[in-house]
This record gives sequence, C-alpha cells and structure tokens, in this order.
Amino acid sequence: MPLHLALDGEKHSIEILRRKPHLVLNVDGRIYEIPEWSAEPIGEMVLDGNTVAVARAIEDAGRETCFVRIDGRTHEVVLIDPREEFAGHDAARDEIHAPMPGAIVSIHKSAGEQVTRGETVITIESMKLQTALAAPRDGRLRDVLKKPGETFDKDELLARLEPADEA
Amino acid sequence: MSGSEKPKPLFGKVLVANRGEIAVRVMRTLRAMNIASVAIYHRVERNAVHARFADEAHEIRGETPVAAHLDADAIIAIARSCGADAIHPGYGFLSENAAFARKVAAAGLSFIGPDADTIELMGDKISARNFAAAHGVPVAPSVQAQDDIDAFITSASAIGFPLLIKAAAGGGGKGMSAVRDASELRERARIAAGEAQRYFGDGRIYAEVYVERPRHIEVQVLGDGKGGAIHLLERECSIQRRFQKIIEEAPSAPLPEATRGAICEAAVRLAAAARYKNAGTVEFILGADGRFFFLEMNTRLQVEHPVTEMICGIDLVRTQIEIAAGLGLPLSQSEARANGHAIECRLCAEDPDSGFLPATGSIRLLRAPAGEHVRFENALEEGQRVTADFDPMLAKLVVWGKDRGEATGRMIAALRQLTILGLRTNIDYLVRVLETPAFRDGALHTGFVAEHADALAPAPVEARLRDRILIAAALGQRTFRDAITLVEEPYASMAGWRN
Amino acid sequence: MRKIQSMISTMSADFRRNEARNRDLVAQFRERQERARHARPKRDLERLASQGKMRPRERIEKLVDPGTPFLELSSLAANMAYDGESPSASSIVGIGIVSGREVILRADDPSVKGGAWYPLSVKKIVRALDIAIENRLPMVHLCDSAGGFLPLQSEVFPDRHMAGRIFRNQSILSKMGVKQLSLVFGHCTAGGAYIPALSDYSVIVRGTGAVFLGGPPLVKAATGEESTVEELGGADMHTSVSGTCDYPAANEDEAILIGREIVAQWDRPRKWPIQSQAPEPPAYDPQELYGILPDDIKKQFDMREIIARIVDGSRFHEYQPNYGSTLICGYANIWGFKVGILANNGVLFNDSSLKGGHFIELCDQNNTPLVFLQNITGYMIGRDYERRGITKDGAKMIMAQSCARVPKFTVMCNGSFGAGNYGMCGRAFDARLLFAWPNHQIGVMGGDQAANTLVEVKANQMRRAGEEVDRATLERVRSETLAAYQEQISAWYSTSELWDDGIIDPVDTRNALGMAISVSSNAPLGEKGYGVFRF
Repeated sequence: MPLHLALDGEKHSIEILRRKPHLVLNVDGRIYEIPEWSAEPIGEMVLDGNTVAVARAIEDAGRETCFVRIDGRTHEVVLIDPREEFAGHDAARDEIHAPMPGAIVSIHKSAGEQVTRGETVITIESMKLQTALAAPRDGRLRDVLKKPGETFDKDELLARLEPADEA
Repeated sequence: MSGSEKPKPLFGKVLVANRGEIAVRVMRTLRAMNIASVAIYHRVERNAVHARFADEAHEIRGETPVAAHLDADAIIAIARSCGADAIHPGYGFLSENAAFARKVAAAGLSFIGPDADTIELMGDKISARNFAAAHGVPVAPSVQAQDDIDAFITSASAIGFPLLIKAAAGGGGKGMSAVRDASELRERARIAAGEAQRYFGDGRIYAEVYVERPRHIEVQVLGDGKGGAIHLLERECSIQRRFQKIIEEAPSAPLPEATRGAICEAAVRLAAAARYKNAGTVEFILGADGRFFFLEMNTRLQVEHPVTEMICGIDLVRTQIEIAAGLGLPLSQSEARANGHAIECRLCAEDPDSGFLPATGSIRLLRAPAGEHVRFENALEEGQRVTADFDPMLAKLVVWGKDRGEATGRMIAALRQLTILGLRTNIDYLVRVLETPAFRDGALHTGFVAEHADALAPAPVEARLRDRILIAAALGQRTFRDAITLVEEPYASMAGWRN
Repeated sequence: MRKIQSMISTMSADFRRNEARNRDLVAQFRERQERARHARPKRDLERLASQGKMRPRERIEKLVDPGTPFLELSSLAANMAYDGESPSASSIVGIGIVSGREVILRADDPSVKGGAWYPLSVKKIVRALDIAIENRLPMVHLCDSAGGFLPLQSEVFPDRHMAGRIFRNQSILSKMGVKQLSLVFGHCTAGGAYIPALSDYSVIVRGTGAVFLGGPPLVKAATGEESTVEELGGADMHTSVSGTCDYPAANEDEAILIGREIVAQWDRPRKWPIQSQAPEPPAYDPQELYGILPDDIKKQFDMREIIARIVDGSRFHEYQPNYGSTLICGYANIWGFKVGILANNGVLFNDSSLKGGHFIELCDQNNTPLVFLQNITGYMIGRDYERRGITKDGAKMIMAQSCARVPKFTVMCNGSFGAGNYGMCGRAFDARLLFAWPNHQIGVMGGDQAANTLVEVKANQMRRAGEEVDRATLERVRSETLAAYQEQISAWYSTSELWDDGIIDPVDTRNALGMAISVSSNAPLGEKGYGVFRF
C-alpha cells in the first residue's frame, strides 16, 4: 500500500514502482527515478544532484514527523500511520469497559468534557489493585455510567464517548 | 625556553552563574586567559554542553530550573566552597540583581560587572530616568503613577496618545503595554500595575510617550569605575517580535552622523556620571524626526555583544574580567575604531507561522555554518532535548562583512547553510526578514515585523520541489526504507511484472 | 559457457507466418484471460460494492508489496467447464511477495456465485496447498466463499483429493512448520470455516467476515435457535470470546494492513543454496519466440533457438553434444540460478533416452534444478528399436527422472504426446510448477493419428454390424472425431482441467521460471536414491 504523508496540510502518497537497477517512485502519479540515496534516517542525502538534510522526529503526540531541509528551507512532513488511517469506527473505541470485576474509586472527567487519548477517565479498584482506565481516543465524553463506590462486573460498560465526527 | 614566564592569571577561578551559549562563550575567554571555570547546572540540564565545557561543574537545586539559577545564596556557597574568586553573571538571571552583587562582594568574591549601587540605580526604571534627565540625557516625556490615579490619568493624557505604560521594575522589553486613546487608559493602568506587582514584585508603573516607528539604538559603554568611560559605537536592535530582539547589528543601519555622535556622546556622559564600572549598554529609542530618548541602561553584558566585538576587534568578556581585576579601560576613545559591519540573528525554538509560539523537541540534526567571519555561538549538540524549562533562544549566529550589504548577504548564506532539525525554529523566518527590500534599505523600526507580516509569510512550495521533499521524508522513514531494501532478487529486478 | 548461435532468419517467410499465428494465439489467450479475470455480471459487482467489499484482485494488489512481481497460476482454470459459470474456477492463486517474503496466496472470488467452490475450484485450492507443501511456501488465504457448490457436491465433497484434502494439506503444511495466514473477508461456512481455524494466524473483518460451521438459517432449521451472523460467528465474538480468530479489523484495508504486519513477523526461511550468479537477460530477443514456434504441430524446430531466448546471456553448456541428438541436454542460468535443461528435438531413441537418464543423474549429483522443455511425440517404435531395448531405455529415463530429488520444472512448449510426456516430467511426475504455452497440445497420441485409429475402429464396428461403410461416412466420422479430439488436446482444455499450473505467454517463461526456482529453494533436497534401473 502506498505511504501517505501530509505537507502543509495536504495529503500525498508515495509508492515504490521498482527497486533495481534503480529506485523508481510514484509520487501522486508523477514518476521519479532515484539513482542514489542513502539509508540513514538522519543525515544528508543526495537527491537529484542536491544535498538534502533529513531528520526524523517523533512528536510527543505519537505522530511521526520528518524535518526536511532543502535549498536552505526547512519543511515538516507528517508521516501518516496507515493503521490510524484505516482503523475505522470501533465500538471498542467509543466505549470503556471494565477489564475485571471491581469497584469505582474515582471519576476524573464528567459528561461533556473533552478527553485526549490515553487520558485517565476512571480509576477502579479490584483485588486490592488500582487501575487507571483511559480514553481510547481523543473526543468528548458522552456519559459515565457509574459513581464512586459502585461495583461492576467484568466487561460491564462504564463510560462512553460521543461518536467521532467524520474527519 | 627564554626567561619570560606566563603572566599570572587575573583570577584563579571564576564561577559562571549562567547556562547555555553565554556560559560557554564566557568560559571560552576564561580558558584563553588561563582561568579555571566553574559551571552550575540544574538536574534537567545535567548533561548540558556548558556543564561539560567547564573545568568543574556543580548541581544547583530549585523548584524549577529557573528558580535554581536565581538562588543567589546557593550559588555563592558553591563559589566559596570550590575556591572561586569571582563570579560572572552572564545576562538575564541574577546579572542585574543588586542584592546578589552585594552578597557576592560581602562573600569576598569579585563580581564581574558594575557595583551594586549602580545596578540598583539603573535597575529602577524611574530612578534611572531621573538620573539620565539630570545629566542632560534626553528622556521621553513621562509621568509616574502615584496614589492619585486620576491625577496620573490627567498628566499621562497630557503626554499625548498613543503612549506606553511601563513597569518601573521591568526591563528587557517585559512589563510594557501600549495605550491608543484615553478611554483605555484607566483600565490599562490598573492591569499593568497588577502585572508589575505579580512579575517584578513592584507595582509601580509610569506612562511614557510612544514614539511612532521608533528605532532601537543602543550604545556599548565601558567604565573604569572612577568616572572614566568610553563607548564602542552603537548597535541597532530594531527588528523585534513581542518586544524581544531577534536581529541586531553594529553599527546601526544608515543614520545621520550627527545623530550617531549625539547618541554615543549622551551614553558616555551617562556612564561617566554614574561612575560606571565595567561593561554596560545604554538603550535609546530614535524617532523618525531625529529625536532620541533614553530608554534604559543595562548594567551587564548584552546578548548581542558579539556584533560590537566583531567591528571593534575586541573581546568584551576579556575586558570585563580585566576591569573587574582592577585593570583600567583597555583603550582610549580615540583608539576605539570600528571596521565593517556585523549582524547577529537570534535562533529561537519557536513557530513564526503560529504567532512565534515556543516549540519543543529534540535536536536530531545539527550542522553549523562554516566560514571566515562567521560565529555560531551555541551550546547545542545532537540528541539534546529542548524543553519549555528555559528561554526559547537556542543559539546566535553572528557574521561580519566589509559593509552592511556584504554582512547581510553573508548572514543569509550562513542561515541557509545552518541546519537544526527536530523542532520548529525561526531560521527560515530570519532569512525572509533579511531578504525584504525594507531591511536592505535600512528602513527599520521596532514595528518592522508586524508591518511586513504579509510579505514575511513563507512562499508556497512549487510542485517539483514538493515532490523532492516528500521523497526525502519517505526515504527517512524506517519502514519505507525497509520496504525498499528487504525485497531480494530476483524480485527486486522483476519489479511489478504480472503474467 | 558459450552463447548459442542462432540460425534462424527473422526475415524469412516461415518466421513471419509463425509469428503472425503465434501472436494471434497469444492475443486469444490474453482475451480469454481478460474475460476470466474481469468479466463479471454487473449485479454481482454492485452487490460486492454495496457490502463494502473490494474485488479479490484489488485485495491481492494491496496485500502484495508494491513494485514486486506476481505469478498467477491457472488463470484459465475451468474455462471450458460448467458452461463458463466459474471463471478461473472462482479462485485466484498466485505466488507473490508480501512484506519482503515469498508467499503463495489464494483468494476466493465472491463476484462469482458468491465464491462457491466448484469441483475445479477445490482442485485448484488443493493444488495450491500441494505447491505450498512441496516448496515450503507460506500461504495466505483470502477467504470469501459461500462454500461448496451444492449441485455438484458429489464432485466436491467425498473423495480423497476433494475438499477434505484442503484441510488435510493445511494440517500437514502446519506440521512442516510452514506458516498460514487467513484473512476472512466474507463468510467461511461449514468446511470453509476450517480454513481460518487451521491457519496459524487469522484476521477477520467486522461486519462482513464470519466463521461458523453452520450459518443462521441452518442453525435455525436444525435446532430452532435464532441468531444473527455477527452473534453466531462475527469478528468481535471470535476475537474476544471464542478465540477462533486472532485480530478484528474495522474494514478490508485494515485487515490487509494487519495481514502484512503479521507476515512481517515471520522468520525468513533458510533457503537451500542453489548455485547462482548475477542475472543477465538473454542476448536474443524473447519476442522472437513467436517466429520460431511453427504453425503446425508436426513441423520440427530446433529447441536450441528456444533455449537461447530464455536463458541468461543465451549461454548454454551442452552435454554430450554429439550423442543422442534428439534430446538436448545442458547447463545454463535462469535469473542467475544454475539449471540443467532437457529439451526435445525429435522423438526419443535409445541413445537420447540414455543420455537423458544420465544427465538427470548428473544434475541430481550436482544439486542442480531441472528444467524440461517439452516438444515430444513419443519414443521411437519398431522392431529394431525394441531389440535394442528402447522400452528398457525409456524406463530407465523415467526411473531417473522420478527419483531425482532436485526441483523439477516443466514447460509444455509444443506437443506432449504419449510416453514422451512421462520421461520429460509430465504432470504425474511432481514438477514443482508446470506451465504451458498457448500452442501446446497434449494427448496420448497426435490428433491425426488418433482420428485415423478411431476411424478404423469405428469402420470395423460398422462392418461387423453389417452397415454400409462408404468414403463419405468415413470422412464424416473422421472429421467429427478429429474435432472432438482437437478440443480435448488443446491447451485451453488442459489448463481448464488443471493439468498444468497455467498457460503463459512464451515471453513470460523466463520470469515464471525465475520465480519458480527461487521459491523452490525454500524446501531442502530430499534423500538421494534411485530404484532399480533395468540395464
């Protein structure tokens, strides 16, 4: 499958057409032959006779960004994770279920609040262990179905997110 | 070997109470002068370049890294315990803290800078203004806020609008706001006083004339502490954003000779009157009508001191140390000659396309520009994390040229050669500023960046270049590279064959 | 090794006539192939689209690595069966590269009768698994089938090499340590449910994929229980409750991505090192093959001309060049791999049979794969030859060829008649892959010969019955017999019945063999040994 990248807010795709005798790539339908390229993720490479400096950086949000400096100007290219692109609406991604039976310790976010992926929404306790249950994705919390102190069974639904908008 | 011995160093050991590029720069001169250097660092910067560059380094503690660098007592204690005989405060942090300077002296150490009294005098913007006015240095009409807020409003309005509200204890561009007309004045004054109290611990404010399209001209002075003072020409720092300088040059952009002379002379007069000791900078604003007003005096080494060094052929840190050691001024006014033109750009971790919001990240790739007449003042290395703990300035690039045109061209080339990748920086933005016709023509003023905002937006990328960028980015990605290299023969050569 | 010196003239009338005819044959082949691959009723395509499903070829193109070759096998399977209701036998099989690794993959074609398995579909799937077993090739199943085609269940279900063989082969493949991945895009019902269950890894698409031994209607009829497809065998149930499938996917694109990631985890095989060197294209243009193959099956041509347009640099080291001249034997390289080639230049005599047997043993000794280029009408017959032991000599060649442990590949370049098929590694002799050219014909004997014999038999029958046997009747019988016979010996027919692994354009032979040899080296060579040679 082609590699998708975003530059200045626009999406592009690159596909490998051929590897030997030369690398040939298809960039949005335009064909390029690249006789020489270096295998380092950081450093200089020669492309089309120009020296290009490339460095890949992973931002804290988990997005993979590549900084490319060419002709004395720096550009930021976002490498789109295909799994993120194709993973569609899951029930799993709209709901928080109890991984085991237990009781609610505390609720950290309330209905209508924005949450980010990985942010703790509920703390539960089970078998004398406390576990943080996190939001499966960025979004708005639709409701929390339990109050502190209440108990629940394994797999019971504890909280829901509003369905994500179509991007 | 002949009989001459190496001269005894002026100090045995100097603690540099600072960090980053200025700490490294000061230590470079210390090393050249055969003086041992001591660095201080907070835990978050324990692997920093400046800590490793020094001959010895000690950890400082604090609730925040900045707080640690402001802990005067701890720093002095370290200096004493490691046998340092002097402290160089750099710029920022404790460099203009009179109490610190006093404590250093009380501890029996030399403070490489002016006397505490001078720091105190010039640190209070209102007392500095009054002192300047008393010694014939032009000051902008201003009114200090007293308890009677209505009286303040009336006299401030008399200055005329627009005017500036400033914090007495502020400085370095902080604690200022503009007021366009009378209706805003009361509210702005109230807010400004509150902020001044919060940020500087001193709620006094004053209102000052607001000069339209002002140029920021400052003069490097040296004083011997006995009333003798010279100037080393002026610098122009009119290219600013959010009141912070980003491009400085020496000498200034084209300026009538008479005006230049008057400004420098006024600066020297002030320094001499204050019996200023060591290096300092007197800052002025210059209006289009040729009137100039005293802004403030910075009783320390400035960030942009290298441009003066390059045109005067002098090492200002060396001069500071010599004066602190009791030597006099290194040269007389008539000996102070300038040659050529120098420009400095401050390289910051910020996003010029998003209101200059500070950026964070890691330095993944660093390639310094090379060449004669190019100074890359930095304490950077690949792999370094850039966080929000400290000021967003990463480094300084300083170049010299035989004239302003050559210096500008050389700076543009050096910026384009410089590579710092892994986080957003203002490098490309600085190139765009230098390339504007207005800059080349010297049509500078402190509103330059705002005035040319549209022209300074990045140009769109043309299609062929964009494809190369995308290819470079793709080839930088591990999975993509593997997809290319991990297909063996004969499949690599058969490519997309179908039967 | 010296370059073969070509003796043909590309300007000659013969060459041009052959070329026209062969290009036309290839055009017919391409046209049939295009239809078999793509022509589908609009209604079926719309239904697929409305279900959010991709066409199976689209799935394959996304699964395989970009810029890599794909060798499709038996694209014209079932083209002359079932009134054309099952193009490609409702199944796509091919060898390709996924995440840098060689795999064989097979995809059900849901755009044909819901992907139901016809008898030849089952034969094609079993053959795919046999190839996987013989070559230790990992297998990817792209499952989307309604199950066995009920009206023909007696040819799909009960016998040894019918549907059950699929699951037996999967088990044996697994026992051999060769990996299998199933991507469940549609329903896997009844026997079909065992495919993902017997795969080492499985991915199932939520909403369209399902695995159950009996679907909701069958369950309701059997026990009265009512349930939805999702409840009974859907993605979430199987990936979180029963553990029958491993990964749920929100859609087909995600399923394919997960599949590629799974294959990327697989250990790269330790291949058996075939002697090889840097590859080199043939010195002569492979397009010239069209002008070399004659338009009449009875006309002879020099196989060296064929070899020269397939092997690297057209270089060939001929073995016993002056002996047994009706069988060419020698070494060459194809895509850099060293191979031993046996090619027919006429009927097999005593000397050529002995030469063939000996050369096969030499290649076996040398760990060199064998490539058989068939154009054979049979062994020489007659009293003198029998006295010299032609039957024994043919037997010895068959013994050597059957027992050789190196990989064997066969290309049906032209005729393959009678016992010559055997000695030259026909279908029964376990060539790892066997391809046919569009001009290929295969039968126990040639068309004319068969027709004449059958006419004789028929005439005698009629005379015994007291019927009038005149010239006109004989002619009629003859032409009817010939027509039926011609149909059954054509390449279209043989590929329809899966007597080969696919018709290929002659110019594609080099690439097909290159890929075949490469995948064959995933399996270690077996034990060396032969039976008794009757000397």
